[in-house]
Amino acid sequence: MSSLTCARLGKTWPSTGGLTVEALRDISLSVSSGEFVALLGPSGCGKSTLLELIAGLEPITSGEVRIDGRPVAGPDPSAVMVFQEHSLFPWLNVSDNVAFGLKMKGVEPAERRRRAGEVLERVRLARFARHFPHQLSGGMKQRVAIARALVGNPAFILMDEPFAALDFQTRVLMQQFLLEIWSGFRSTILFVTHQIDEAVLLSDRVVVFSAGPGRILEDVRIDLPRPRSYTDPTFNDYRVRLTAHMEREVMRTQEAELAGA
Amino acid sequence: MGALASQAAVPTAADAAGGPDTATPRAPSPWRRRGVLALATLLPWVVLVGAWELAIARGWMQASLIPPPSSFIGYAIESNLKVGFGNDAMGIPGAILASVYRVLAGMALGFVAAIVTGILISMSKVASAALLPIVRGLAPIAPIAWIPLGIMLLGIGNSTAIFIVFVGVYFLLTLSTVAAVASVDQRLVKTARTYGASPRQVWQWVIFPAVLPQVFTMLRINFFAAWMAVLAAEMVGLKNGVGMMVILGREMFNGNLIMLGICIVGVVGYAVDSFLLFLQRKVLWWQPPGQ
Repeated sequence: MSSLTCARLGKTWPSTGGLTVEALRDISLSVSSGEFVALLGPSGCGKSTLLELIAGLEPITSGEVRIDGRPVAGPDPSAVMVFQEHSLFPWLNVSDNVAFGLKMKGVEPAERRRRAGEVLERVRLARFARHFPHQLSGGMKQRVAIARALVGNPAFILMDEPFAALDFQTRVLMQQFLLEIWSGFRSTILFVTHQIDEAVLLSDRVVVFSAGPGRILEDVRIDLPRPRSYTDPTFNDYRVRLTAHMEREVMRTQEAELAGA
Repeated sequence: MGALASQAAVPTAADAAGGPDTATPRAPSPWRRRGVLALATLLPWVVLVGAWELAIARGWMQASLIPPPSSFIGYAIESNLKVGFGNDAMGIPGAILASVYRVLAGMALGFVAAIVTGILISMSKVASAALLPIVRGLAPIAPIAWIPLGIMLLGIGNSTAIFIVFVGVYFLLTLSTVAAVASVDQRLVKTARTYGASPRQVWQWVIFPAVLPQVFTMLRINFFAAWMAVLAAEMVGLKNGVGMMVILGREMFNGNLIMLGICIVGVVGYAVDSFLLFLQRKVLWWQPPGQ
């Protein structure tokens, strides 16, 4: 069992002229093993920054992140990040993309190919192992990116709006694919999105963020049986509740921007 | 939002998420289309050469000044692909090989050195402060301006010509490399880091392959300048090569030799550029065709 906790986490970015921008303030969050947690908030609320702090890609300003009790001090194979589209290495074929992390760890080529092949088999991409990213559709590219995350058996998969660049149809299919993966691999997923429907459809919990600086407004447990449907009346209740929050935050951000300008 | 939500429940097969929508190859264009294109490529040449030959035949232009292809190609065959006398004598194939060797060797050295320097400059602020101003100061100097210095330093020979080409591409490509490194998609770098790549591994496995195509494209763009630089070096100092052929023609008042030299310069330049384009497609093998 793995655990992830953020305690009073804060992040401040340097800005022009010696000024600083506070991206996150006082984030306390704990995620238990096997959970699917959505981080929901308007653009610029720092939810992507939070993922990068958890992934150890950016230094923490205050507070701490602990994975299995150990403070995060840099990139850690137990928590890997999946970005939006265009994060596959265009010069590597699907198999080599999936095996990238294994190569960095010094795993032998034959073993790399074997393990990449296994994961590709499980995500039904085995016959595309020798294709290059430019030969794949947007949805397939993201499936490869997810397979690449799965190959190292990470305890946590951190996803930064992974389906934002996809068209609606593909996104719906990818959401279902992700749920299959989540239940099949028993991974724990943190999923950043600004889409309320997507958050309610996928997650056990939706953590709602405010903007500028990002703070946690509410932590909503989604008590809906799976498979879920957009047409379920309870689904709609959650949507209404979260929409109200988001609207308020968007308005507040806009007012703050106008006042600042 | 309501309309979208009702659609959302319809598709259920997760398999279709990655339909191979780009897997179908484009159907080959019909033969007629190809024929038209081939004709469009060929016809201007036929018209050009035809008009040239006609103008000479009718006496509108002087054959001794601007000999037509029938004349200088015939001259090349008659002279057994050898031109010049005594010390200046050279075979045409040998001249072509000498020039092509010089330009390719200089470009290859410049390419490798520029990538190494560019990455070094991008890696370290100290290296950048030390080297970047020098590179930016030397980049604007035309390759031809280096010829006298090259001859003084290296004498008359291949090394001078290679040096001229090298300085012609090295500084520019170093700047391209620095720009290419700065424009590497940060998502790729972060992805590599999340999979545990060390800083050295990021440079080796992400930034280096990411900048190669852009720098190679710059190399190809700069080929023509490099080619001209080699010819200029051959014209002013070196005793052989295609550039020397043209100068020999002038010295001997041999119009055939001048025109033959000019045409060889064009044809060989075109051939080498096509070869670089082919290489570029090999280097950029992951790019969709046409980019």
